[in-house]
Amino acid sequence: MTRHPANGLDDTVHQRVRLGILTIAHEGRRVEFSYLRDNLEVTAGNLSQHLGVLESAGLITIEKGYAGKRARTWVTLTKEGEAALAVEIAQLKLLISQMERTGTPTGPSERSIMGLCLCSSQIVSTPA
Amino acid sequence: MTTEAAYPADDPHRLLSEARELTQRVRRDQRATWFPLLVFAALTFAAIPATRYGGHHLDCRSVPGGGVCRVYSDTEFVYWPIAFVLAYTAIAAFYIRRSRARGLGTRVRPYTVAGIIVAAALTAVALWEFHNPPVDQNLLGLNLTGLPNRMASPAAAIGLALLVLAWAERNRALLLLTIAYLVAVLVPVTFGGVPNETQHNPPWFSLPLAFQGSVLLLGGIGFAVAQRPLRSPAP
Repeated sequence: MTRHPANGLDDTVHQRVRLGILTIAHEGRRVEFSYLRDNLEVTAGNLSQHLGVLESAGLITIEKGYAGKRARTWVTLTKEGEAALAVEIAQLKLLISQMERTGTPTGPSERSIMGLCLCSSQIVSTPA
Repeated sequence: MTTEAAYPADDPHRLLSEARELTQRVRRDQRATWFPLLVFAALTFAAIPATRYGGHHLDCRSVPGGGVCRVYSDTEFVYWPIAFVLAYTAIAAFYIRRSRARGLGTRVRPYTVAGIIVAAALTAVALWEFHNPPVDQNLLGLNLTGLPNRMASPAAAIGLALLVLAWAERNRALLLLTIAYLVAVLVPVTFGGVPNETQHNPPWFSLPLAFQGSVLLLGGIGFAVAQRPLRSPAP
């Protein structure tokens, strides 16, 4: 039996803000907290929570310091973070192509496709 | 219907398109293509007086069917190596300062390292040729139109470094400009002038440099306009 691509999605990464953090950190190598906050359009508190989740998972490292008198927080992607981002992007592409192949709608009605709920940051199996 | 209503927050389409959009935005924010182009335009224009008034050594030999002349310029061994080091230092400092101000890292290191390696390699080639002049030159009285000589020129070093910058910035527009620049540098154009044994410092020496500098200057201005920060309209 073929494994469904949604099973390869990591709950830690499969979330809008956290995927955004990893994407920006991947391109920017070393990114400042304020750049992430401005570009992801989240509050500082919300961003801190997501950074904490990613740091606990070992996907990013957080470095605090000063630029002159201003406190700065720098975020850097780890090798595990690089790998997790690559897997997530690959799984998303696979999932989309599978949906398009089977003609499954990709709007809100997809929430219960194939016994999977894609409506929140958690991928939850639902009873048939 | 808005996107928000059509797609839930963690919809694969939306996540993927947002990731792509963020990638493009970060790359746009990292680009400062105009600065290296303007620096190299300034170096190229400054090389005109350095070439014109710097020392020249013309080594001409008579061979059956014509003559072979080699022009050695002091700018090759003095001006350009120093200018390249200063240019890459300035470019690296500019990118690092900008990166700190924006809170976003850049990939300037591979560009700077590659640029210095290319410049050092081409200077080494020029020095090697100076001490080991090739004997099999074309017999038209001038060997300056040879592709190998052009490949080992400062202009080609600038072009090769710009290719690395185009890769580092993922910048297709710069790639196209660099290819056009390299073609202009490597295609033999003599601007109608041919040196003779009595004319050690002809005025047309500056024309290729002026042309190359103009290409870099126009490119730099074009990128500066395209990459200028967008200001929101006044209320």
